[in-house]
Amino acid sequence: MKRGLLNIFFAVGLPACLLKTGTAMAGDAPTNSIQGSHELTLEQLVNIQVTSVSKKETDLNQSPAAISVITQEDIQRSGATSIPEALRLVPGLDVAQINSSEWAISARGFNSEFADKLLVLVDGRSVYDPAFGGVEWEMQDLVLEDLDRIEVIRGPGATLWGANAVNGVINITTKNARDTQGLLVSTSFGTVEKPATSIRYGGEFATNVFYRVYLQYANNDGFTDSSGNDTPDSKNILHGGARMDWEPDASDRLTLQGDYFQADLAGPALNPSLTPPYAANFYGENFKNGENVLGRWTHDFSASSQLTLQGYYDHEVSRDTETLDAEDIWDLDLQHRFALGDRQDIVWGAGFRYEMDQTHPSFALSFFPQDENNHIASAFVQDDLTVISDRLHLIFGSKFEQDADTGFEVQPSGRLLWTPAENQTFWGAVSRAVRTPSRTDTDVVFNQSVIPPSPPPGSPVPVLVSLRGDPTFHSEEIIAYELGYRWEPNPKLSFDLATFYNVYHDLSIYTAGTPYTVFAPVTYEVVPENASNGGAGNSYGAELSAQWRVTDDWKLMGSYSYLHLRLTPSDAYAGDSPQHQFQLHSYLNLTRTIELNASLYFVSALPDQQVPAYARFDLGVVWRPNKAWEFGVWGQNLFDDQHLEFGSYRTPVLTEIPRSFYGKVTWRF
Amino acid sequence: MCLLLGTLLQINWRSEAQPPVFTEYQVKALFLLNFTKYVDWPATAFGQADSPITIGVIGENHFGEDLKKAVEGKSVNGRKIVILPLESESDWSKCHILFISASEKKRLPEILAKVCALPILTVSETDQFIQQGGMINFTRKDGKVRLEVNLESARQAELGISSKLLSVADAVRRKP
Repeated sequence: MKRGLLNIFFAVGLPACLLKTGTAMAGDAPTNSIQGSHELTLEQLVNIQVTSVSKKETDLNQSPAAISVITQEDIQRSGATSIPEALRLVPGLDVAQINSSEWAISARGFNSEFADKLLVLVDGRSVYDPAFGGVEWEMQDLVLEDLDRIEVIRGPGATLWGANAVNGVINITTKNARDTQGLLVSTSFGTVEKPATSIRYGGEFATNVFYRVYLQYANNDGFTDSSGNDTPDSKNILHGGARMDWEPDASDRLTLQGDYFQADLAGPALNPSLTPPYAANFYGENFKNGENVLGRWTHDFSASSQLTLQGYYDHEVSRDTETLDAEDIWDLDLQHRFALGDRQDIVWGAGFRYEMDQTHPSFALSFFPQDENNHIASAFVQDDLTVISDRLHLIFGSKFEQDADTGFEVQPSGRLLWTPAENQTFWGAVSRAVRTPSRTDTDVVFNQSVIPPSPPPGSPVPVLVSLRGDPTFHSEEIIAYELGYRWEPNPKLSFDLATFYNVYHDLSIYTAGTPYTVFAPVTYEVVPENASNGGAGNSYGAELSAQWRVTDDWKLMGSYSYLHLRLTPSDAYAGDSPQHQFQLHSYLNLTRTIELNASLYFVSALPDQQVPAYARFDLGVVWRPNKAWEFGVWGQNLFDDQHLEFGSYRTPVLTEIPRSFYGKVTWRF
Repeated sequence: MCLLLGTLLQINWRSEAQPPVFTEYQVKALFLLNFTKYVDWPATAFGQADSPITIGVIGENHFGEDLKKAVEGKSVNGRKIVILPLESESDWSKCHILFISASEKKRLPEILAKVCALPILTVSETDQFIQQGGMINFTRKDGKVRLEVNLESARQAELGISSKLLSVADAVRRKP
C-alpha cells in the first residue's frame, strides 16, 4: 500500500494532492547597510568575504510582505538538527513532527502531512513532490553549516513565485562554494539519533572557480506511542552532492550544483482489503532515491540591471511494498531586473516546466491514466514605483500561467510600502493566488477503507469507501488582504507585526455519490466520495515578533501568532492548525568561547487531530575552544517525557515526540 | 539567573557567528572613504581650508548608490567628501581621488599620462595598474578585496600615504 498520499478524508476534502508548481527563482540575499559601516577599519575591510548578490540592496525592513529570515546563527543557536526544526522559529508557520521521519508543515492554517498551500524552494529548485503531494521534509536535509539562510514569506507570494504559493513561500539557499572552503566534519549522536555524520570539502580549481562536495548520513530510530511502547517508524538517509561557483568577471556569476539521495523509511500504513481482517495496520518500508542537477547564470548589465537564467532537472523514484513511481521534472527560468528611469524598478520573467509522472496501480491507490506528462508556461512582471522618494512605494504585478492540464491562471498582487520615519514601516497588500489542481484532485482512485459487514442496520457485505478525483476539478483560489507594521524604537529593539485576512474559494471537498454493488472478486458495496471545488472559507490572524539585544552578548527573540480559520460546508479540518503559538529564545554568550542557548515553545491544541496543547523547552551549551573545534550538548523537549504534535489518518497508533539529548562535534580544517 | 548574568558580564565581545555581508563594490566604496583619511594631499590641491575632497569615477560605474552613501555626511580634517560626476576630461583635474573602472583597461596609459603630474590619487581594479604607474589597485583574492600600492607614483604626485594603509596592502612598490 502506498505510504505517502493518504491524507484524504471523505466528508470534507483535505487537499493532499499532487502539486504542479510554477516557476521560481532563488531570491537575493540582503546586504548590510553601507551607512552603518563607516567604522570598519582597514584591517577589517581587507578581510571581508564579499557576497555576490544583486547590486540592488534589498533591506528586509523595506519588504512589503510578512517575511522572516532564519540565519545561520539562528540555526546554530536553536539546536535545530534539520530544516523542519529550524522552521519552528518562524511565527505563523505550523510545524508539527509526526514521527521520526515525517513532518506536517504549513503556513496560516491547512496543516497536514501533505500541506499543499506552501511553495518550498532549495536554491531555486522547487521541492514539492508532484507525485504524492507536499514536501518530503525528511529528504530536504543539507549540511546545515552550509546553509546561507532560509527566507519565509507568509501570505501569497504569487507574483514572483508561482502557483501554489498560496499561504507562503519558503526559500532555502545554500552558501556560495567560495564561502564553504576547507574540510568540515560534523557528527551528532544522542538518545534518539543514532550517529549522523556530515562531511564537506571545499576547494578552488582555478582563480574564481570554487567548488564543494559533501556526503551526509542520518539514521533515526522510531519514537514511542502514548503508552511508551516503541513505534517502528525509522529513517535511514544518505545524501551527497557538489556545487561549483565561478565568477569569470565582475559582472558574471555561474553556479552548477547537483545532489543525490537515497532513503529507506518506515512508517505507518493502513492496508484495506475486501476480505477479513478488512484493515491491516502495518508499517511499510519505502525506498526512495533521486538526483537533481541545477545551473544558474547571473549577468549584471549595470548596477541597476541584472539578468538571471536558471535550469534544472529533478528525478525521483519511490518504491514501496506495492507500488513504484517515478517523476521527472525539467524547468527553465529567466528573470530580468532593471531600473526604468528614476522611479521604477521592474522585474519580469518567463519560465517553462515539463513534468513526467509514472505510477503503478494498487488496490488502495491508483491514478488514471497511470502515466502523465504536463507542461507549464509562465511569465510574470512586477513594478516597484517610488511615489515619494524614501517614503512611499507602490509595488504591483502579476503572474500568468498556462498549464496544459488546467488552463490559464492570472495571479495579480498590489502592495504599498510607507516609511513615515526611518525606524517605522507600514505595508499593505492585496493579492490573488491559486493552487492549481494536482493528480490527486483529478486522476486518483483512493480506496481509503473497508467497513466490515455487520448485522442490521449495518451492511451484510463489506463497504468500500473510495475517493475519486474529478477531471473537471479547477484551481483553488485565495484572495488575501494583509497589513503589517515594523518599528525599531532603538537600535537594540525591534518589533514586526503582520496581520492578514484570507478568503478562500473553490477549496477541495469530497461528497458522497450514489453507492453501487460490485460482484467480483467478492460481493461488496462501493461508496464513492467525489472530489469537487465545493469548499470555501476564510481566516484571519496576526504574527507579532520582537528582538531585543539586551547586551552585546545576550539577545532575546520572541514571537506570538494567532490564527482563526472557518471552512464551509464543514469545519472538519479547520482544527488542524493551532490557534495560538508562542515562542521565546535566549542567545547568551557566557564567555568568549561558550554559548548558552535556550528556547521555549508553546503550541495550542489541535482539536481535529486530538492533539492537546504542549509546551517545549530546549537548552544547549556550545563550546568553541578554537577555530577548528566546536562541541555542543543539547537537551530537547525537557519539560515532558514525550508529547504528541500531530495525528495521523493512517493509523490509530500515534507517535509521540520524546525528550532527547544529543551531542555534536564539528571539526573544521 | 539569566538576568543576573547579563548585568555581571561586561564583556564587550561581539559574537562572531554573523560576519558582515557586503558586495564587492560596497567594500571598494568603503576603501575609497578610508583613502581620504589615510592619504595626505598637498595644500595646493585645495582652494580653501574647507574645500571638499572630491572623488570621481572614470568608466562604467558599478557602485550604484553605495559610493554616495558611504561618504554622505563624512568629513576629514574639516573637509566634506563629495562625489563629482565626470562630464568630460577637464573634470578629472578637479578630483582628489580618481577611480578608474576596469572597463577603461585599454585606455589606462592615456589616462595616467594626463593626471600623473597632478596631486590626484589614482585607484583602479585592473591587472598591471601598479606597473603602469597607478597608485592603488584593488585585487580579488579568496573572495576578499585586497590592495596593492605604488608608493613611488604617489610620492611623485606629492601625495603622502600613511603607513597604516601600507601595512594592510598585499604589495607595496617603493623606489625602483
